[in-house]
Amino acid sequence: MGRLPATTSSETARGTVLARPEQQATEERPPSGGAELVLHRVRKQFADFAAVQPTDLTVPAGEFFALLGPSGCGKTTTLRMVAGLETPSAGTIRIGGRDVTSLPSYKRPVNTVFQSYALFPHMSVKENVAFGLRRRRVRDWKARTEEFLGLVELHHLADRRPAQLSGGQQQRVALARALVNEPEILLLDEPLGALDMKLRRQMQSELKRIQAEVGLTFIHVTHDQEEAMSMADRLAVMNEGRIEQIGRPEDLYHLPRTAFVANFLGRSNLMAGTVTGGGQGSGPLLEVDASGHRFAVHRDRAVSATGQVLVGVRPEKIDMRPAGAGADRLTAGWGINRVAGTVTDVAFTGVSTEYRVEVPGLGELGVFAQNRGGDLMRPGDAVGLSWDPAHAFGLDGQQDAAAGDDAV
Amino acid sequence: MSSRVADRSGKQTGFERAAALAGGTAQARGRAGYGLVSPGLVYLLVFFVLPVFTLLATSLYVKPPGAEVGQFVPALEFGNYAIVLGGYWSELLRSFGFALLATVLCLLIGYPMAYLIAVRLRGRAFVQGLLLVLLIAPFFTSFVLRTQAWKQILADEGFLVQALKTLHLMPQGASLTATSVAVVAGLTYNFLPFMVLPIYANLQALDHRLLEAGRDLYGSDLTVFRTVTLPISMPGVLAGTLLTFSPASGDFVNAAILGNNRNTTMIGQVIDSKFMRVLDYPGAAALSFILMVAILILVTLYVRRFGTRDLV
Repeated sequence: MGRLPATTSSETARGTVLARPEQQATEERPPSGGAELVLHRVRKQFADFAAVQPTDLTVPAGEFFALLGPSGCGKTTTLRMVAGLETPSAGTIRIGGRDVTSLPSYKRPVNTVFQSYALFPHMSVKENVAFGLRRRRVRDWKARTEEFLGLVELHHLADRRPAQLSGGQQQRVALARALVNEPEILLLDEPLGALDMKLRRQMQSELKRIQAEVGLTFIHVTHDQEEAMSMADRLAVMNEGRIEQIGRPEDLYHLPRTAFVANFLGRSNLMAGTVTGGGQGSGPLLEVDASGHRFAVHRDRAVSATGQVLVGVRPEKIDMRPAGAGADRLTAGWGINRVAGTVTDVAFTGVSTEYRVEVPGLGELGVFAQNRGGDLMRPGDAVGLSWDPAHAFGLDGQQDAAAGDDAV
Repeated sequence: MSSRVADRSGKQTGFERAAALAGGTAQARGRAGYGLVSPGLVYLLVFFVLPVFTLLATSLYVKPPGAEVGQFVPALEFGNYAIVLGGYWSELLRSFGFALLATVLCLLIGYPMAYLIAVRLRGRAFVQGLLLVLLIAPFFTSFVLRTQAWKQILADEGFLVQALKTLHLMPQGASLTATSVAVVAGLTYNFLPFMVLPIYANLQALDHRLLEAGRDLYGSDLTVFRTVTLPISMPGVLAGTLLTFSPASGDFVNAAILGNNRNTTMIGQVIDSKFMRVLDYPGAAALSFILMVAILILVTLYVRRFGTRDLV
C-alpha cells in the first residue's frame, strides 16, 4: 500500500466538516448527512428465544436516534443486525436505499462504537484509529487519523497502548476509530455505560456536538432513559423484542402510549378505572371512574375511549396543597381530578422533594414538588392533590400498571 | 508483523518475557510473592543450579595416565570442549536443524488445531474438551512406546509407505524407516501438544469482540486473522515454539529409534552414549554444556527478534 508522507491536517487537500478554526475557510465538503436506515419486518430468533419480534423502523438521514430499553429487550440485537454482526431471521435492512441484509459487516457503510470499546490491545491509539482506513486502503489515512485524533483531543496519547488509557480516553479512541471512516451510519452500543456519572454527562454533550458537526446518522443503544432523552432527536422504547413507542423524547414523555413506556421513561402514577362518560361526540374530555374518584382525560390523549383504562399522570404534574387550603378553592369548581390523601414518605432530593401520598382506593401516588421555598410536608400530613386534565393520559386498561417499573 | 513488534522488544530481558509468558505479571505483589516462590527457588537451587556446577566441573576433568575406563580426576582441562566440538559439530548442527524443522511443522499443524478448538468451537465445551483429551491422550502411554509405534507406521510394509508407493509419490526401492524424515516426523509428533497447548490457552482468552470490531472496521475474516488474531496470539506461539524447540534439540529417543547410525545421529544420542556406554564423562558433560549454552543463545536471539510485548 502506498504510504503518503505525513502531512499536517491543514495541508490536506480534502476539506472536512470537522475542520478546526484554521481550516474552516477551505471547507469543501458539506455535512454528508449520513444515510437513512430502514428496517422492514426484521426479526431475530435465537435457538429458543425470540430476541427481536418483527420490527419496522425508519431512521431518517442525519438523525440522532436512540434505542432505549431494559437489558434483554432486543435493542443490542437490533443494532448488531444493522452492523452485520448478526443475521436477521427474516426481514430486510436498507441503508441509504440499498439492501444490505446479506452483506457481511466489513462491506457495510456502518461503524460501531462497542460497549466494551473492543480496542485492539496490541496496537497503539494511532494504529487503532487508522485500522479501518488502512483496510479500505484510503490514501490519506495518516492525515485523517491525525485529524480525528484531534477531534477527540487525543493527539498527545497517539502512541500509547489502549491499556495505558483511562476509561474516558479509551471511549474517545473507540469513537474516533469508528468516526474516522465516515460511515453512513454510526452505531453506538451503550458507549457510555462504563463511565462514571460526571464523565458520562460530559461525553453525552461531546457526542451531541460531534454528531452535529459530522452530521451522520447516529443510532445509540442505551438503557439509560435520561441519556436517551437528553441526546436523541427521536427514540424508540423497546421491550421484550418489540418497539413499544417511537417519537421525540418530549412527546414520549408527555404522552406515553403503553404502561411500559409510562413507567420506564420517567415515572408515572397509573390508576385503573372505567370510562363512564364523554364517549363519541360529547366534547373533548373522557370521564373515568376509578374506585369512586372521578378523573378527566383528553380523548386524544387516551389509547381507548371505552371500558377499562389506566389513567396516568406524571408525579411532577400533580399539585399538592395542605388539606383545606387553597387547593380546594382552586379546584372546587370541577370536582374532578382531585383527591385527598395522607403523606406517607418524604424524600428531599435538592431540586425537588419526592412525596408518597396514600389515597384511599387508589393506593400510593408519587408527587414531585419543586423546592421553591416554604415548608415541606411531613409524613402524616393530610393533603389535597389535583392536576390539569391536559396532563393526564389514558392507557389500555388490560396492561400491567407496574410494567417497566423496575426494569433496568 | 514481526518487524512491527520487534522494535519494541529490546528493553525487556528474556526472564521478564518468560514471566510474561507464564501468565504472571513480572512484579510479584509484595513480600508474599517472595514467600510463595521460595520453595521453587530452593528446589531449583538444589536440583538445577548445583548440578549445573557439577556438570561444569565434570566437563573439565582429565583422565590420569594409566587410569581405568571411566576413571577421571578433577582438573581444569578446557581442551575437552575443543575436542568434543571438533568431533561432534555436525551432530550438533543436525540436532538444531531437525529441531527447527520439527518446530516449524508443529507450528503449521498445531496453530490451526489450536485455532479450531479455541476459536471456531468456542461455546461448544463438549467438543472442545473431547478434542483436547484426544490431543493429550497419547501422553498416557510412554514416550518410547509411542515412538516405537511410529516405526510401525513408517515401516516398508506399513499403509503409509504402501500408499505413497501406489500413488508413485515414493520410489519403489525407497523406505522411510531409518531416515531423517522418520526422525523429524517422530519429533513433530511427540512435541505437537507442547505447541498446541500454549497457543490454545492464548486463543482461548482472545476477546471475541475484537474480531467483531475488526470485521466492523472493513476487515475480511482473513484480514482480521492476520491483523488481530495472529498478532495477539504471538505470546502463545512464542511459548509453543520454545517448548518444542528446546527439548527437541536435545532429544535422543526419536533419533535412536527412528533414525540410523549414519546420518541421523543427534547430539542427545552422542551424550547418551558417552555417559552410558563409552563412559567418557568429561566429554559428555562438555557436550551437554555446549548444547545448553547453544540453546540458551538461540532462544535469547529468537525471543529478542520475535518477542512480543506483554499484552495486558
